Amino acid sequence: MNNIVLIFIKFYQKYLTIFSFGSCRYYPTCSSYTKMQFEHNSFLKALLYSCLRILRCNPLFDGGFDYPKTRCRSKNKLHFKKIQVKYWKIPVDNNNCLIVKHNKKWDK
Amino acid sequence: MALNDNTLNKEQTQKRILLATAISLAFFIAYDFLYLQPKQALVDEANAKNKIVMQQTQSTNTATNNNQAPMVATTTSQNQAPVSTNAIGSKVVSTIKTGKNIYTIDSFGRISQVTLTIPKYIDEKGNHIKLFNPNQLKPLEVRFADPATNKEAFEKNVVVSQNSLDATNSKQQLVITQKLSKTTLTKVITFYPNGHYDIKATATNNVDFFITPGFRPDVLADMYADHGALLALNDGTLNIIEDEDMDKPVELVGVNVASAFDRYYTTLLYNYDKSMAVSVMMDSSSSPQIFIHAKNSIDLHGYAGPKEYKELVALDKRLSAVIEYGWFTFIAKPMFTMMQFIHDYVGNWGWTIVIVTILVKLILFPLSHKGMVSMNKLKELAPKVKAIQEKYKDDKQKASMHMMELYKKEGANPMGGCLPVLLQIPIFFAIYRVLLNAIELKGAEWILWIDDLSLMDPYYVLPLLMGVTMFLQQKITPNTMTDPLQAKMFQFLPVVFTFFFLWFPAGLTLYWFINNLVTVSQQYYVNTLFAKAKEERHEKHLEEKKHNKKK
Repeated sequence: MNNIVLIFIKFYQKYLTIFSFGSCRYYPTCSSYTKMQFEHNSFLKALLYSCLRILRCNPLFDGGFDYPKTRCRSKNKLHFKKIQVKYWKIPVDNNNCLIVKHNKKWDK
Repeated sequence: MALNDNTLNKEQTQKRILLATAISLAFFIAYDFLYLQPKQALVDEANAKNKIVMQQTQSTNTATNNNQAPMVATTTSQNQAPVSTNAIGSKVVSTIKTGKNIYTIDSFGRISQVTLTIPKYIDEKGNHIKLFNPNQLKPLEVRFADPATNKEAFEKNVVVSQNSLDATNSKQQLVITQKLSKTTLTKVITFYPNGHYDIKATATNNVDFFITPGFRPDVLADMYADHGALLALNDGTLNIIEDEDMDKPVELVGVNVASAFDRYYTTLLYNYDKSMAVSVMMDSSSSPQIFIHAKNSIDLHGYAGPKEYKELVALDKRLSAVIEYGWFTFIAKPMFTMMQFIHDYVGNWGWTIVIVTILVKLILFPLSHKGMVSMNKLKELAPKVKAIQEKYKDDKQKASMHMMELYKKEGANPMGGCLPVLLQIPIFFAIYRVLLNAIELKGAEWILWIDDLSLMDPYYVLPLLMGVTMFLQQKITPNTMTDPLQAKMFQFLPVVFTFFFLWFPAGLTLYWFINNLVTVSQQYYVNTLFAKAKEERHEKHLEEKKHNKKK
């Protein structure tokens, strides 16, 4: 289910953004936020938070920085292969983490 | 939103966007020319052929046409009802004139044709519109569950009480009787001046039979709107079966309305007091044929004509359910109700669209106004914005992050937001569906050269105006593009939109044009307001300076 949504978002970000770019009041943008939501949370939770975000994205709200949240799960999984960092999870309270996109510039 | 796509290099982005534009344009044009138009041509050709066939059968009076009763109905007999032959062009035995149409009854007791007599309903050649294709299943055709009786029914002519009736001023009753060896079928049809009818069909000796509202009207059935069968159930749900889309017969109970429809017209039978059991059979092209189950006797109300809101609601409020706008019905229907309300006062659909556009803009005014004000505020921060752009030239993501910080510090955010952009989409589609599906808007004129809002502008004036206003809107809106490439693409957008809109219904282009026009004037107003405020501040400043010097 989440994957279907992610395909749509990918399509939107690739081809349809020309019609609406430069309009989002937030960082990350609504489409990036929605993408991260659907990558990390359950379908219903992601749907709810994404809808709320889009509803908030209008001149009556201030906009600004708004990162998606997810549960921090530490399953102590050890990876010995080389990994590629996509997101950083930053704990904000006992259970929740902010999802921040990894800046590729740092790799260099 | 493309701001944070820092992985793409510019050339790639540019190529991709050009490609996307080209592909989507190519798709729309190709779809129209290669798919929709040939399909229409095929249909026309088929119709022409059918007419020839019909003339031939009329002369020879023999033709093979399947008249099977729906076999699912009786569990007692598993064997199919027989294939009986009947003349398609059977003789007209009675003609009934009402205030809105002319019904003809053929020798098998069916409605063979309905001709709309209101001047509004004429075809391109100026003839009154005839609803039905003569080769299709006709309204009020009765089929019997018993094969032998069914066969006999298509060999024996009926007896009618009158050869012609005039129901233009008062309701008139027609009795059609067909005496068969096992039963006598009686149809008592009451025709009303407003064009609808009531039917009571009775068959003696307790036999099972079926009655149909007929195959859908065949005036305008194209790819742009749904056509087929619609069944409204007593639990409030709709069951829509599109033409050429059936893979097996459908059985339904609790049906209140059984309608067969094309884009603008319908033939339907309904009864809200006593629901019907219905079998929807497939014809040879997998299109639906509706059969209503009956035993002994059945009472129904009938209508055959345009799906005009007011006319249907006058018969029964709930009948508005048969006007259907595809996927977007849930938003298109309220949109139509609102437009109808405004139209009652204005009397012109073009002006109605203009008013609707302004109303939508008014509702969104608090949003757009605040956005424009903060955008102007930010214009004064231009040097700081430029500094950020210079500093993070190579990292769009970082640049947009720092911009966000700046906005926060200044308490102003120049972006309009995603919600206002997304809100436009359902409104746009609702108007599009209403323009395509509502018969009220067919042939609706505005001013000067626009004589049909549901068709494209023949002189391309509205799309061009739309493009110009869009260009103006971009010119007058303070630019917040961080990337020169994006700015370039943004400038290209009005051209793309103009191209898209060339073939869109004129009403839709009108909506977008007025929408842009209102935005431009609003922006102009806000801009002058700010310019004035700035000037005043400047003057004050100068005065203070003078004052200080004097001291």
